Amino acid sequence: MSTHLQKAHRERGAMKPRAVESVVGTSTRAVAGAMIVLGATAFMLALSRGGAAIAWQAYLVNLLFFLGVAQGALVASASFYLTQAKWGGSTPYRLGEAFAPFLWVGFFLFFGLYFGRSLIFPWVTHPIAQKAAWLNTPFLFARDGIGLGVMAAASYAFIRVSRGADARAWTIATDDIQLPPHSIRVRAPLVAVLFAVVYTLIAFDLVMSLAPVWRSTLFGWYFFAGCFWSGLTAMALTAVVLRSRLGENNLFTNSTVLHDFGKMVFAFSVFWIYLLFAQYIVIWYGDLPVETFFVVQRVHHLPWSPLSAACLVLIWLIPFTVLMSVRAKKTPVILGTVAGLGLVGMWLERYVLVVPSLSLDAVPFGPTQFLISIGFLGAFLVSAMPGLNRVAQAATSGEPVGDDPE
Amino acid sequence: MSTVAIISSFADDTQCANAIEQLRAAQVGDFNTFSPIPSHRIERAIGRSKSPVRWIVLAGGILGVLAGLAITIGTTYEWRLNAGGKPLLSWPPFIVICFELMVLLGGIFGFLGVMMLSGVPTTEMEPGYDGRFGEDRFGIVVRCDEAEAARIELVLKESGAEEVVREGA
Repeated sequence: MSTHLQKAHRERGAMKPRAVESVVGTSTRAVAGAMIVLGATAFMLALSRGGAAIAWQAYLVNLLFFLGVAQGALVASASFYLTQAKWGGSTPYRLGEAFAPFLWVGFFLFFGLYFGRSLIFPWVTHPIAQKAAWLNTPFLFARDGIGLGVMAAASYAFIRVSRGADARAWTIATDDIQLPPHSIRVRAPLVAVLFAVVYTLIAFDLVMSLAPVWRSTLFGWYFFAGCFWSGLTAMALTAVVLRSRLGENNLFTNSTVLHDFGKMVFAFSVFWIYLLFAQYIVIWYGDLPVETFFVVQRVHHLPWSPLSAACLVLIWLIPFTVLMSVRAKKTPVILGTVAGLGLVGMWLERYVLVVPSLSLDAVPFGPTQFLISIGFLGAFLVSAMPGLNRVAQAATSGEPVGDDPE
Repeated sequence: MSTVAIISSFADDTQCANAIEQLRAAQVGDFNTFSPIPSHRIERAIGRSKSPVRWIVLAGGILGVLAGLAITIGTTYEWRLNAGGKPLLSWPPFIVICFELMVLLGGIFGFLGVMMLSGVPTTEMEPGYDGRFGEDRFGIVVRCDEAEAARIELVLKESGAEEVVREGA
């Protein structure tokens, strides 16, 4: 065994899970719990007081956004194995897997949409004859439910192996060029391919079908590229937040690691806008009313055009211009702020995709929608807590990281 | 005092980078490094400032955008084709051409810039170059006075040089 591997094995022994204080304090847990209660209460109140339509809109938007973040981050971890990423030891993998419990939460919440289906899906109350074979309630809930379930199960099968000793040893063997362990080589590509298929399905069924006449072939990719980017951005934001909470000399104080997170936020925001423009130019050039109405409603007409512009600025313009320099990517405050704004932008993007199909002339956003969003955020934070503890453990364990002194 | 050349070879880029740092700490400035592969560690040890090629690429990129605008706007005014009732000067199709020309000219300028600034093609071999430095060994060639040679050889050997050879130059 080379000296580096011996060193890694020795260090692994020293890194047995010790009783570490939870990185998430009791006050944060209490606040997150309160957020869930607030959100659920606001939702129930809205349902009982005739605000069912806006309640279900907010439910769908938040479900899509937070499920996207959780799944995107998990797929990022799989991508790190597929690209043999050793720039951060095992911590980036733990960070990607930290939000995974929300995959099951989202799976169950998805079936909640059944009770609001007549207010969300126009084709429930007005079935479309030519599309009835695809757009009907039992088939939609069956295929999307199975898709999300398979996705969550595959994600957890991947996580189980990723958290094993073999995978962990591989991530910190910085001078070794071996491929990852065999079980990872099977499960990581499976997760990635399933992600593309299932989230294309989700995009078509839960977003595109809200305007049943409209279609765009690239829409599925555009949607899950946004999910992937929001996962990476959430990981970058978490890295910046944990940096100041994990004491001295944690992995996130290494500016090269922050640089790497910043590079991914930068690169995939460019990918996102590339896919957006690819759809836009085709629709613009064809100028067919059956295609253009979707875009015109959101981009060229009030009241939605300012929100679309805000999405563009938050998801692409700010990350692209601000994160271009090396120094900006290595500065935690800058990276964290851009990441936070980017996540707000992506939430807004889901909102602008979904809600105009259901409420064209007014932008419905009031206390109800705000509190429901808070509730989902609380559920997301609560489900991320065990994973964040693992991240804290990995980031403070003094692992050797892949050396790239830029 | 005659000048000698000390040729040392390393099998590992970390050791080579360490040796460079030791030499710089010992105020030895006149040496060349040969490497078969691009190595970030060695580049950082040498400590050169960032390459000016990025400004050449930027110039090429800007020129590309301007060229794109010139071609698109120029040909539009020349032919005045009305495509489906869309405005004569419309940014969605123009942006595609401007972007592609930006990438093209940026890349070409970058290539030419690297060629110019790295002194390629060159007809003279650097003294001390050995064929191994293009295969699997890293090399440091130091030119110094004969009096300094022993000290420098010691520094190189301590940093893990596989082979240290002195040649009267």
